[in-house]
Amino acid sequence: MKLQELVKDIQSDKAEVRTAAWQQAGRIGAAAVKPLAKLYTAEDAEIRRAAKRGLEKIVRAVGAPGVRAAKSAVILELLTLLSDTQPAALRRDILWLLSEIGSDESVEPIAALLKHKVLREDARMALERIPGDRSLAVLRTALESVPKDFRINIAQSLRARGVTVDPQKYPCQKLVPTR
Amino acid sequence: MNLNKTMKRRDFLASASAALALPYVIPSSVLGRAGRPSANERINLGYIGVGGMGGGHLGRGLKFRELGQTEVLAVCDVDASRLGSAAKRCTDAGAKVEAYADYRRLLERMDIDAVVISTPDHWHAVQTVHACETGKHVYVEKPSSVTVREGQAMVDAARKHGCKVQVGAQGRSGKPAFHTCRALRNGMIGQVTKVDCWHYETPYDKNPVPDCDPPASLDWDMWLGPLRWRPYNPRYCPGTFRWLMESGGGQIRDRGAHQFSAILWCLNADSQTSFTVEATGTPPPMGLWDCPPKIDITYSFKDPDWTLLWSQPGRKTGKTEFGQMFYGEKGKLLLEWEGARKWAEPEALAFKTPSSGFEPYTPGLFDDFGLNHMGEWLKAIKTPGHLPNVDIEIAHRTAILCILGNLAYSLGRKLVFDGDKQIVVGDDQANRLLGTPQRHPYHC
Repeated sequence: MKLQELVKDIQSDKAEVRTAAWQQAGRIGAAAVKPLAKLYTAEDAEIRRAAKRGLEKIVRAVGAPGVRAAKSAVILELLTLLSDTQPAALRRDILWLLSEIGSDESVEPIAALLKHKVLREDARMALERIPGDRSLAVLRTALESVPKDFRINIAQSLRARGVTVDPQKYPCQKLVPTR
Repeated sequence: MNLNKTMKRRDFLASASAALALPYVIPSSVLGRAGRPSANERINLGYIGVGGMGGGHLGRGLKFRELGQTEVLAVCDVDASRLGSAAKRCTDAGAKVEAYADYRRLLERMDIDAVVISTPDHWHAVQTVHACETGKHVYVEKPSSVTVREGQAMVDAARKHGCKVQVGAQGRSGKPAFHTCRALRNGMIGQVTKVDCWHYETPYDKNPVPDCDPPASLDWDMWLGPLRWRPYNPRYCPGTFRWLMESGGGQIRDRGAHQFSAILWCLNADSQTSFTVEATGTPPPMGLWDCPPKIDITYSFKDPDWTLLWSQPGRKTGKTEFGQMFYGEKGKLLLEWEGARKWAEPEALAFKTPSSGFEPYTPGLFDDFGLNHMGEWLKAIKTPGHLPNVDIEIAHRTAILCILGNLAYSLGRKLVFDGDKQIVVGDDQANRLLGTPQRHPYHC
């Protein structure tokens, strides 16, 4: 399947055509990322859903062991979709997709969203999942730099990564009732 | 419910104690309240999640209350209407309960010894870990967790805090599975080389609806808990959480958790934790639910070598909607459903254990497998050193099979799972997906 055919079929009003199309997205790879992302604004929820599943297919395909170049190309495409011009629902999904395959190159763009009121929690969780010293260093820095009401969330991620965080300054909230 | 009417509390305790030759009087520390003497011999229960399966478990807790085994002190649910119904049910049965919208208030109570957790799957691990951390024993519904890392946290918490965690895969408390286990372990069909499971398809949403505001009675943020935030959609709950990968995992993580538990027991394969897994499936053509209606999964184990097949709809070789056929060197043996609710095959029933043969452990206190399973948990709580028959570590191993089957489908590639290290060999993405970062403050 070629890119144009994928984009056309994924917008079909026939469920079986859409489904067959998004399953092929992994074969196209990075070139399909932006066209699928554009469909997040489609009026039909089923088209938006098919686009989302197509993006997942791409990320799952390039995440396979030994697929380095294709993975890097997809990551670069995904990173461009974190910009302010994109819808929040798309950016949230992109953060989670990057959490599966992103490495050091993804850390700073994701960290920039720790100050975004709507997306910061997803950005935090994505950074928590991306292994390596760089993501850990960014989380450590964020503990003192993000807005005060969000620092307890960052502490949660640091603890999940095995870092000891001062319990007096950043007490764990998990057993504290809120209702 | 087919409760053995002649079974009285004294008989229950006597059989539990006699079986292990242990004293009747149990120190209060065993009940999870170190330093506080037990006011009586009842185990004080709190219920977290009281709809669906939770309602059934509440009924069992109230039955054990009738037998003088338990007291029901609290109920909790994020749906106010379900919570109200459960509280009324308890009151009608004579139990004085407090109703909570936040399970953490229930966990704060020092007079509650143990909790029964029947929330959607994505809550199982977090609430189990929190319950253990507050010194409470746990009965949690299956599957034990939605990720491998959550399951590890549950095992660690249970061991660290000395809590008895029973998981609701009742096959091991059922008579059909017992007879089948006894026959297979004693070589009735020789070495088993293949187990073929069939199950009807996972449903897909044929009538998708748009996101909207949640019902006034539902605390949507609390329902989501550790999951990433998203707007409410009526297709998420109640019950239908099962058809989404992140909260339910489809039939394989629902019924598969039952069937695999019975199979591992019948084959004495709880310790075979390493395997390879491959899966193919057909995704849903529309709707919110993302679990594949049709799926075929192959697990391969070594030493001894055998293959486990899970198929929807699969090759139905029994009379009922789901089950498994064991194929051995000397024949085959069928087990319907999960080994509890239906029947054992005549040849398994007729099988006589040879002298010095293996006799499987079964609670066997009640005719009803659900009561047996909960009774086994209560016995474990009262008996130092005795783990329940589906202890969290056993259930975690079963859950791993379900989780890895879905993961192999989602990733579209063969996975090699190292059970000792609990990692997928040589696959970074798969290993990241063995856990999911949890939303603040709902984390293990």
